[in-house]
Amino acid sequence: MLEIVFSVGILALIMLPVFMTFSSGNRNIMLTEGEFRAHTAALELMEQIVSLPFKQISTGEYADAEIINGGPFAAGPVLFKLTPAKDLWRELKIEDIKRDNKIVFKKVTVTIKFTATKNSDRVREFFMKTLVANENI
Amino acid sequence: MKIFKKNSAFTLVEILVVCGIATVFLATAIMLFTNFRRGFSRSEGTAILMQEGALFVARLRNDLNNAVLVPVIAGNDQAQLNSTPDRLSFSLYSSREAKALPVVYRYQASENGGSVFRREGNDNERVLIKDRVASLTWQTELERFVEPDSTSSGTVRLSIALDMQLEMQTGSEKPFLLKTSIFPARLNRQLNVP
Repeated sequence: MLEIVFSVGILALIMLPVFMTFSSGNRNIMLTEGEFRAHTAALELMEQIVSLPFKQISTGEYADAEIINGGPFAAGPVLFKLTPAKDLWRELKIEDIKRDNKIVFKKVTVTIKFTATKNSDRVREFFMKTLVANENI
Repeated sequence: MKIFKKNSAFTLVEILVVCGIATVFLATAIMLFTNFRRGFSRSEGTAILMQEGALFVARLRNDLNNAVLVPVIAGNDQAQLNSTPDRLSFSLYSSREAKALPVVYRYQASENGGSVFRREGNDNERVLIKDRVASLTWQTELERFVEPDSTSSGTVRLSIALDMQLEMQTGSEKPFLLKTSIFPARLNRQLNVP
């Protein structure tokens, strides 16, 4: 009797990781969905900055609280246009790249923080960077 | 002297206990596997929808980022960015042909799931998403931002608000929802040239 119970227990332990791999596929799809949402949000923010005339791309760092739909960008007349998204935080950093004391490029970095899965505490980060050339030189 | 050797064997109780444990173990395994199969087919459908949606948006975004304004030619209403509920048309700069070509996205709604098509220049119309679009809207928005007390005409911003929902015909899969705005970079730069 004891041998049977032991053998069943060992078999159950062996099978446990096999069954755990079954649910990992679903978890990965959930994560990919989160990454896609973050990617879309990053592109939306990046594109509206890049679309502006060069002189209006104001250098600075902007936290999530400053990046609000309908709120001003860099205290200027241009307003942010953002799609509401749950469990997603945006950050924006714009740096000057100078040569011979002239700004030749602006480096735009968008960071999106998002929860890996629903009701999860784990926060992931997604970066997107680009350069905008000064066409007025 | 022993004539008969005693045969060792399982008792009936032992066999019944083993059968009971094996049944419980098998039932659990079957239940887990069935749940996995159901979840997997649902996830697979969701992944397919997500992939189709992502590819469509990437294509549209890429096209709109290369969209340009071309001089209006009489009778050519596809030259500029135009949007209607079932049509989105604009001119796209083709680096291969070194000229602007008209591009038309067409949405064909249907009760069983709509489809989206794309045509570029004189090429044949191609299907981008077939029978899986539950709803799709693309709306062009032109904004003008002027600084207070400024004499300049301000900054113009053109954007396309996209709202899309994809569904499998079986309906058991999680629908794919996408809501975003696309800002055509080249068009916006052209619009803001001093």
